[in-house]
Amino acid sequence: MIDRRSRLQKFVEVEIPVLLIALFAIGPYVWMMLTSIKTDADIAAFPVRYLPTQVTFEHYRMLLERTTFSGNLLNSFIVALGACTLGLGVSIPAAYGFSRFRFPGRRVLMTQFLVINMFPIVLIIIPLFVLMRQMGLLDTVLGIVLGHSTFAIPFSIWMLTSYMNAIPGELDEAARIDGASRLQTLRLVILPVVLPGIVTTGIYIFVTSWNEYLFAMMLSGQNVRTVTVALQLFIGEFTVQWGLLTAGGTLIAIPVTILFLLVQKRLVGGLTAGAVKS
Amino acid sequence: MGETHMKRRTFLKLAGGTALAGSLARPALAQQVTVKWWYHFDNPQNTPAELVAKFEKENPGIKVQAEAIPWGGGNDYSTRMFASIVAGNAPDCAQVKLNNQARLMEMDALAPLDDYLKGWAGRSDIADNIWTLNRASNGKQYYLPLHYVVLYLYYRTDMMAKAPATTEEFLAAAKAATKGDVYGFGMRGGGGGQDNWGAFVLGGGANFSKGGMVSEKALAANRWYVGLAREHKVVPPSAPADGFRQIVDGFKAGRSAMIIHHIGSSAEMVAALGDKVSAAPVPATPGAKGWTQFGDESNAVFASSKNKDAAFKWISFLSTGENNAALAKLSGQLPIANSAAASWKGHEKRFVDASVASLPIAGVLPDSPKTADFATTVWPQNMQRALLGQISPDDMMKAIETHFNG
Amino acid sequence: MTPTRTAGGNAREAVTPYLFLLPALLVTLAVVLVPVAQTMWMSLHDYVLFRPKNVPFIGLGNFARLLKDEVFWISLANSAWWIGLVVSLQFALGLVTALLLNQSFWWRGLARGLIIIPWALPSVIIGLTWTWMYDFNVGVLNDVLLRFGIVEKPVAWLAQPGTAFYSIVLALIWQGFPFFAVTILAGLQTIPDELLEAAEIDGATRFQRLRSVILPSIAGVIGTALLLRTIWVANSLDVILVMTGGGPGFATHTLPLYAFLKAYSGMEFGYGSALALVLTLLLLAVVFVYVRRQSRELGR
Repeated sequence: MIDRRSRLQKFVEVEIPVLLIALFAIGPYVWMMLTSIKTDADIAAFPVRYLPTQVTFEHYRMLLERTTFSGNLLNSFIVALGACTLGLGVSIPAAYGFSRFRFPGRRVLMTQFLVINMFPIVLIIIPLFVLMRQMGLLDTVLGIVLGHSTFAIPFSIWMLTSYMNAIPGELDEAARIDGASRLQTLRLVILPVVLPGIVTTGIYIFVTSWNEYLFAMMLSGQNVRTVTVALQLFIGEFTVQWGLLTAGGTLIAIPVTILFLLVQKRLVGGLTAGAVKS
Repeated sequence: MGETHMKRRTFLKLAGGTALAGSLARPALAQQVTVKWWYHFDNPQNTPAELVAKFEKENPGIKVQAEAIPWGGGNDYSTRMFASIVAGNAPDCAQVKLNNQARLMEMDALAPLDDYLKGWAGRSDIADNIWTLNRASNGKQYYLPLHYVVLYLYYRTDMMAKAPATTEEFLAAAKAATKGDVYGFGMRGGGGGQDNWGAFVLGGGANFSKGGMVSEKALAANRWYVGLAREHKVVPPSAPADGFRQIVDGFKAGRSAMIIHHIGSSAEMVAALGDKVSAAPVPATPGAKGWTQFGDESNAVFASSKNKDAAFKWISFLSTGENNAALAKLSGQLPIANSAAASWKGHEKRFVDASVASLPIAGVLPDSPKTADFATTVWPQNMQRALLGQISPDDMMKAIETHFNG
Repeated sequence: MTPTRTAGGNAREAVTPYLFLLPALLVTLAVVLVPVAQTMWMSLHDYVLFRPKNVPFIGLGNFARLLKDEVFWISLANSAWWIGLVVSLQFALGLVTALLLNQSFWWRGLARGLIIIPWALPSVIIGLTWTWMYDFNVGVLNDVLLRFGIVEKPVAWLAQPGTAFYSIVLALIWQGFPFFAVTILAGLQTIPDELLEAAEIDGATRFQRLRSVILPSIAGVIGTALLLRTIWVANSLDVILVMTGGGPGFATHTLPLYAFLKAYSGMEFGYGSALALVLTLLLLAVVFVYVRRQSRELGR
């Protein structure tokens, strides 16, 4: 698309609104970050002290040296990656099935996947705990990955189905005529075109798993404690460790943000168009 | 070969009957047992590793696996505990609170400790009234006290000459201190605030037995308490949402002259206010017994444990003398063992004194399965509605009466 | 509609979609089916967690009780208002953000990274941070407003029924708009450039292009995102739980929060399950309308 707007016009119409939205988005985060580099005295100071009188990385040092935080970060990463792999692995074929086939029970099955998510998961947590114990999955990576992908899968299937629906059917018909099998069509034709959707869905699963607390708290023990559970340990009965908590909160957002910065390049226009043309 | 055999026998004989009898009485200790223990500390930098090492050294054959469970306002900890009991994989022992005792008993989840306690030397080192507070409704002892806090009144020494001793003095002092942005009393109206309310309303004559919430005395005490906010306006407008974090922050910021909390926050108070803060028992209602919340922390052994003997060894180790003091340092509360309390230096003296002076009127909420729900939902919902004027103070008391005796 | 055809190839073709669905079905059903079935069973009993030996069957007793429960109706009304407000505002802000971030400007990559931050934080942290910012005494929001003279006295944001609800809504919008932004941004990539260029050549203004080309092209994605978010917001309670616990009074009670409090604070799992099932049924009605509409569209 050719943009005929002047630089100034674009600055006013695009960059300033984006700046405002970005400020809203990062405001509370910046506040958290500022808090994490203040001394405890500055944090408690009244009236509110905006900038630290003295920048300190003491909270980060304590967080990484004196608590299990770095190990928990790694656990979270493994769990989120596992949930991503499992989630996408089963959602992509399912979405393809829903998008490209008309078969009896399709609507019921699609609705079925949503129903899973309509039930407040907090209420199934105790039956689930008992089930996981019977399967011997308590305090294992697989147990948490299963728990997380369960409520990510329905969302993923629906999102991916809608992305795939946006791709013209002529594309796979052409491939089928050329003699490709269903799986080959999915792999060679659909996947490349729907990549932005897959990336988005992957991010969705990753973020959901990364941020999830309740399942992680219930299903994990000493072995695979995730970072959200570790953060919760800073909120005690009588005191809140603000320094540690904000330092942890600051760190926890970074991997996801970096991940997104890396993959956002995939979210550029023209992919579909190019594919249709060729 | 025969000779060495002989030697061993002789050795056994020489070692004497006591050692032999001892090992016979504890056959389980012949092999390695592992005791799983759940705990929660406020500061995740503190770990009980040193105590575990000391215990394992003193008790070869027992390994302790200590696991920190997120407290999550009490919700997460108890959810995890009840779920693991239902699923049949509870730990051997865990830190527990009294407001869950009745529920745990109904589930037959607790092991009675009476037989163990008979033979435990540390028993007399813990005050009688604390044993009484922890005793279950069926007369048995399931909880082994670990440490404690007592709620008392924090006050600003630069805003009032002395701590108010009675509710009348309290109201006068609160009125005098309320000006501009400063409020006389930082009332806790959010979750957990029944510990503030109890000091005046339970202390003023209300109780949990049938009709105890709707007696003339009880209703009057509650009207007076709600009146602090609605009539006298000596309470900040944020009171309905304020939890411990907010009242402590407000007090540290100099926005309130008095709050009711316990020794757990004394260190940060002193850091912020220095000598300008002191503490005293909560004010007494004339003509009433008085009451303040005893903040309990105990250990219990679960009925499902296969290593009850070893589990008791571990929890009794934690409540003994210097171990108890070491643990209290990690948790920021007060040691329960008298011998540990005598030389206690974990908090400034004036706050320890106020805590000890509060013990005679210290009590706990009733040992009923309904208590936990009262504390987490029934009380805050009705208190908040009364503070906002959505219901009358009397309606609030009727709701509490219905919850317990309806 | 008939899977049994004479030719073997056709029969295989008929089972193919099911094979594609099988892995997803297996994983979700294995983990969810048993617990949900158990919850349904609980809803028909007077199941109190700490009374495992005394669980009488009461049929629809829990549901009858719920109809007479004042708090249920308050929570239901709050939930409806809450879902409508949170989802529509998250969507509006997300759509604007996505459209803006689809334009090219030199720091677009950075901007895309920054707006995702709220979504990358755990709910507990979000709840605590916002509670802290809203604090009556030490909150940064009151401090800023006082400094700029917008208010004369600090506002007790979370303590007044009038402001508590909207204060949480704002925190939720903050948390959730990146989801819409990212989802819609991905959807925008599927619009062929040719379409936009054709519209431009036809002399369409930017607003006309948005209305007649862009929005229709991503209607499916938007619809799905709205549906999924509605379900998510309808079920989410963690931020409310941290910020107000449902208070003051019942001002911020929503249905899932009420079910949660009943189940975990009261340990009345029977009643809590019944509340949860009612929520599920209500959502199902919404979804049913949506699925019908969508499958009609797809069936064209």
